[in-house]
Amino acid sequence: MRFDCFMRLHFFAASIILTLCFGLANVANAKKTPASAPQTPSTNAQRSTSPPGSAEARLIEIYQLIAQSQGGLALAKADALTKDFPNFQLAQLVYGDLLASRVRPVKTLGDIPEAQLKGSEATLQQLRDESQVRLKALIERPQTGAIPSEFLTLSPANKHAIAVDASRSRLYLFENRATGLVLINDFYISIGKSGLEKTIEGDFRTPLGVYFITSNLDPKSLKDIYGSGALPINYPNILDTKRGKTGKGIWLHGTPTAQFSRPPKATDGCVVLANPDLMHIIKSVEVRTTPVVISKRLNWVSLGTAQLTKKPFEEALNAWRLAKSNGELDKVLNFYSPDFSAYGMNLPQWTPLLRNDLKKAKGRDIALKDLSMLHWTDAGETMVVTFGEVSAGRLTGPMKRQYWTRQSQQWKIFFEGVI
Amino acid sequence: MKHSKITLASAFRLLIAATLLISSSAQADEYGDVSQLIRADKFAEAAARADAYLVAKPRDPQMRFLKGVIQRSAGKSAEAILTFTKLTEDFPELPEPYNNLAVLYSSQVQFEKARTALEMAIRTNPSYATAHENLGDIYSRLASQAYNSALQIDANSAGAAPKLAIIKEVFKANLKAQPAVSASIPVAPVMSAAPKAVTPVPTPTAPAAPAPAAKPAVVAPIPVQTAATAPPPPAQIKPVISDKASKDVEAALNAWAKAWEAKDMVNYLGAYGKEFIPPGNQTRAVWEQERKKRILGKSNIVLKIQNLTISVNGNKATAKFHQDYRANSLSVSSRKTIDLVKSGEQWFITKESTGN
Repeated sequence: MRFDCFMRLHFFAASIILTLCFGLANVANAKKTPASAPQTPSTNAQRSTSPPGSAEARLIEIYQLIAQSQGGLALAKADALTKDFPNFQLAQLVYGDLLASRVRPVKTLGDIPEAQLKGSEATLQQLRDESQVRLKALIERPQTGAIPSEFLTLSPANKHAIAVDASRSRLYLFENRATGLVLINDFYISIGKSGLEKTIEGDFRTPLGVYFITSNLDPKSLKDIYGSGALPINYPNILDTKRGKTGKGIWLHGTPTAQFSRPPKATDGCVVLANPDLMHIIKSVEVRTTPVVISKRLNWVSLGTAQLTKKPFEEALNAWRLAKSNGELDKVLNFYSPDFSAYGMNLPQWTPLLRNDLKKAKGRDIALKDLSMLHWTDAGETMVVTFGEVSAGRLTGPMKRQYWTRQSQQWKIFFEGVI
Repeated sequence: MKHSKITLASAFRLLIAATLLISSSAQADEYGDVSQLIRADKFAEAAARADAYLVAKPRDPQMRFLKGVIQRSAGKSAEAILTFTKLTEDFPELPEPYNNLAVLYSSQVQFEKARTALEMAIRTNPSYATAHENLGDIYSRLASQAYNSALQIDANSAGAAPKLAIIKEVFKANLKAQPAVSASIPVAPVMSAAPKAVTPVPTPTAPAAPAPAAKPAVVAPIPVQTAATAPPPPAQIKPVISDKASKDVEAALNAWAKAWEAKDMVNYLGAYGKEFIPPGNQTRAVWEQERKKRILGKSNIVLKIQNLTISVNGNKATAKFHQDYRANSLSVSSRKTIDLVKSGEQWFITKESTGN
């Protein structure tokens, strides 16, 4: 049974202003990031280290004041916000509206006189889109304790996890605690200007799937457009490659000096965050062990539901482990898909390697340590499994990753490799 | 024990001195006492004291103002509105009653009435009107800059800085101001004009959610205007020498006003004669450029001339009037004095100033 865990505070689709008045009262509680504001104007370097999410929190506070008819205070706060973040275009837009409202009625967000707007209509629309998407993500919050269904199991080795909801232009950062996965931050993001589901090189789309952060690039080596840093992810992953997808260089990165935040659909395919938010992620997460799920729309479930879903797969995985432990090659082979492919080898070519593995193991029991399972559903159903394969009597073993797919009720491996 | 020698005469002198002292400060004490009662929330007592005082001096603006404050503090909004309204009728030059009317209207969610009242408060002093209009120009320019930043347009394309209006002389009414009450009465800050509601999203707005009313400050008793100071003295009306001359001057002014409204720069600038001295040491050319910018930059101008008095002396005339100016959504009222000179059959403006 699907569990829609999104807390919709109310259903006024037509007018977000009513959403503002009611929903925003709860935004401050929902927001987990600190809203402390720097008191003095800061340099660009300082702006990268300002509290993550603080610029957005201050903008939302201004919206709340406007909704409460406290225009004077809103103006003062907008003044301060634009002094601290002069390149936060949306803040400048709201500040302009608040100033203009002292002299004339302001009817919409960005009520720019026609003469001044000429040629920049697209920019204005992008700013309005950004505003709408930011608000929506703050009003429609996941229920406490809910997690994206893609994170079926995470191990203590996965200290953090990242999930991107492209339709909400939002990145969610989780910490993996003893009690389970906990949402600790969420940030506004920009995705590819051509939208989603990257397929080929140069299509300006953001890929959809389950990935891992592969490295942390030295900001000094990066061009200004990438901002304060970059975390590349492993697009194309094995599933992407199997489907013939091409392209590369999909990173999580920051914004250029001249632009604090970018429109919702603006990038070449990368996932872009404001520099303070990116810096917070870089400081928190570990390379290689942090999964990054990018979905058109995240599916949030309670921890309990996640437990139920894993059973069928866990049984398959366990059966594979047992067969391998017992040295039963034929049984083991049953778990491999006919279209298996790894390191350029098909299944017949892979079989001798497997046989060798079993021989070396000499029937010792195999344990799967630091096991993580990422569940990806699109046209097919895929499980990306990572574990340390440790033989009984040994302390460590190779770190392995398998890609499984469900074919007519049966789970089968179509890739296996050491990472 | 030494007897202090107090003669009858000296005692009597002391008594008279004491009485004089008491009576001259009695008035100040009365206002002070009532104010103190208000601050102590003793509204019934304060009202009684105020009413007793007003029996002898029913027209006194200071005490009537205090009475209005008492009524408002006691929650008697209707009575307070009546009190302040009557004050604005009797003393239209005082900004404080208008301000407090605005506060009362605002609390009754009558925002248009509040706005009108505040605009009247500003008009009581043409200097406020000028500062207000200048502030509006500055806000417009700041808004324009912010919009440029939002759209990432080069800010230099915004054009030259706005030319703000200079005030050439201090408003005389301010100069006459003398504190009539002791400094112990705090003058609360005047309520700032509530900005119009801004909707930060592009979707058409549904009726705005009811907002908790801003808590504006009520102005305490005015520390200006002794009882002797009446409204500014009426303009000196010299005997009109020729009816036709006055009518011609009036026609010239009306034509000038119409040209201004219509943004007809040819006829507007043409109303000023060769001897016209532009304000602030500007050359004629620079002044004309400034006027063009200011006038053509407005989308809709409405100009009204009221209370026009003209005095003609040969081929010279002086016109004084109330100028009501509305442009975009600004409205400014000022007292104008215009000197004209007749050249040929036409009257031309040689001097234009704001104030008496």
